[in-house]
Amino acid sequence: MMMLAKQSLSRTSLVAALALCLSLGNGLRDGASSASAQDVHVSGPLAGAPAVKKLRLWRDMRVHVEPFFAFTIGDEYSRSLIVGGEARFHFLDWLGIGGWGGYSVAKLDTNLTNEIQAKAPDEEPNVLDLPENENFPAQIGRLNWWSGVELHFVPFRGKLAMFQKVFFDADLDFFVGAAFVGVEERADAIGQPPGAQVEFCSIEGNPMDDGCLESQTARSKRTAIAPSFGVAFNAFFHDFLGISLRWRGIPFKYNTGGTDNNRDNLIDSNDRIRQFNNMFTVGLIFVLPPKTKTTD
Amino acid sequence: MAALLTAFPTATQAQMEFSLDEVDEEDSKPAEESESQGDLFEELAAGDGAEDGPAEPAPQREEIAEEIYAVQQIYALRLKRLELAPSVAFTLNDPYLKRYGLGLAMNYWFTNVLALGFNFIWYDWGTNPLERGTDLVARVTNQFRLGVPNNDWQMGAWVNFSYVPFYGKFKVRKKIFQWDSYLIGGVGLMRTQPIPAGFDDANRSFDWQTNVAFNVGAGLRIFLTRYLTFFTEFRAYMWPDQFESNTVAPGDGQFDPSTWIESDSTFVANTSIQLGFTLFLPVKFEYRLPK
Repeated sequence: MMMLAKQSLSRTSLVAALALCLSLGNGLRDGASSASAQDVHVSGPLAGAPAVKKLRLWRDMRVHVEPFFAFTIGDEYSRSLIVGGEARFHFLDWLGIGGWGGYSVAKLDTNLTNEIQAKAPDEEPNVLDLPENENFPAQIGRLNWWSGVELHFVPFRGKLAMFQKVFFDADLDFFVGAAFVGVEERADAIGQPPGAQVEFCSIEGNPMDDGCLESQTARSKRTAIAPSFGVAFNAFFHDFLGISLRWRGIPFKYNTGGTDNNRDNLIDSNDRIRQFNNMFTVGLIFVLPPKTKTTD
Repeated sequence: MAALLTAFPTATQAQMEFSLDEVDEEDSKPAEESESQGDLFEELAAGDGAEDGPAEPAPQREEIAEEIYAVQQIYALRLKRLELAPSVAFTLNDPYLKRYGLGLAMNYWFTNVLALGFNFIWYDWGTNPLERGTDLVARVTNQFRLGVPNNDWQMGAWVNFSYVPFYGKFKVRKKIFQWDSYLIGGVGLMRTQPIPAGFDDANRSFDWQTNVAFNVGAGLRIFLTRYLTFFTEFRAYMWPDQFESNTVAPGDGQFDPSTWIESDSTFVANTSIQLGFTLFLPVKFEYRLPK
């Protein structure tokens, strides 16, 4: 039954994809002779002229300094509200390098955390995973600080009209690099007795932690190194001022719930789970030097 | 006027041609720091630059040319056109269940920036919803001994207003792509059904229930031709939903369907990304305004 349902879903998806392709193909075929997007065919005195004159160079050999506010999305147990800054230097108008950093000024527990805290049973079968439900927020993984270096690529730029009254320059900034994240997790613990129902934990400094209560709040810190990538929409309102709406993804593993995820009666690095950590950022861009160059 | 034409034939011709030389003559400075502040308002407000004009009495052509701004016609008009938009929808914020939908939207543009429309998304593909569960459900169940009440979705339908406050263009090599960005919002319905979460699966079964739903969103449409676009939009569909009760009523109460569902509603916000194409009909249109 399930196989049939899966096949049905696959068939439906295939048909939908085919319909979309046909629709696109038809449109492109019809438009190919005249205009796919908008072909710029210029004859007369403007033939051979550059596509854009007096192009404002927002980035070429300039530094962007960007204080930002960010929040993580899609977290299992805790969201981070981040305040930070970013600096970028662009060798070309479409290529640059930058660094960023931020600190989690607040961590908001998700509704799942609140539900576990309020309702999850913390009797014997759960001693290692949940020694005491009221203390559950103290055992979950937290992301304390963030930093990274990234290469920025700006292939698309244009201008934007708002309400047909206000016009400003805008571009899309794609970036890729490495991130360094300060991770705070539940400290390593050994559920005892081994191979049986856990009654107490052995942790650093306390080999007989009854009920694993001390283990629940024991923390360890490390720096996770992960790839980072994303895209930003930037709009410039003045020679030296713009705003940035940025999405950044940083996938890496950590023990989100402070639990024994591989069921080996140990809390350790093997319990880390891959998380697609991602955040949304709103920033204010200050461009230096403040005067904008233009092309011919 | 005729005398002027006769007296300055080359000047008149140059004025009509908008030659490159003319532009270069006025703005012969190479890439260097602009004296202006760089924004369009200031440039428009900069006036005719009379103080920089030549001292000779005959440069009428430069003065006139400086005041002419060539504005391209809007690439594709939406006015009085019907928009058909098939799409796929991916839910972003459900940590427990992967959800995919196929959608169709229809909008009629009664001004060039305002449309009234309808959109529909189908989510129920006959699969067992538990097969689409993420590993978080298993972890919560195994490690915390908690069931996770969740609802399956069948379909949603909404009536919407769309408004286009932003439009622009961007360049990729020698192609210029026109795009617009729109805000959308409306009201409709969402059909959902509790997924038995292990509280009393032997006795409980659920039917689809219809909920009043709202939505807001924003989208980006890139014109591939004057009638075909690619679009992506972010939508937040919201409705008050009722989940399975996590308590089992004592005695015969456990067979009473009214005890199977939580009495209080929970506010659900389904944030999703939709990707698709739009087709504007009729495919051809005429500009009303002269060039």
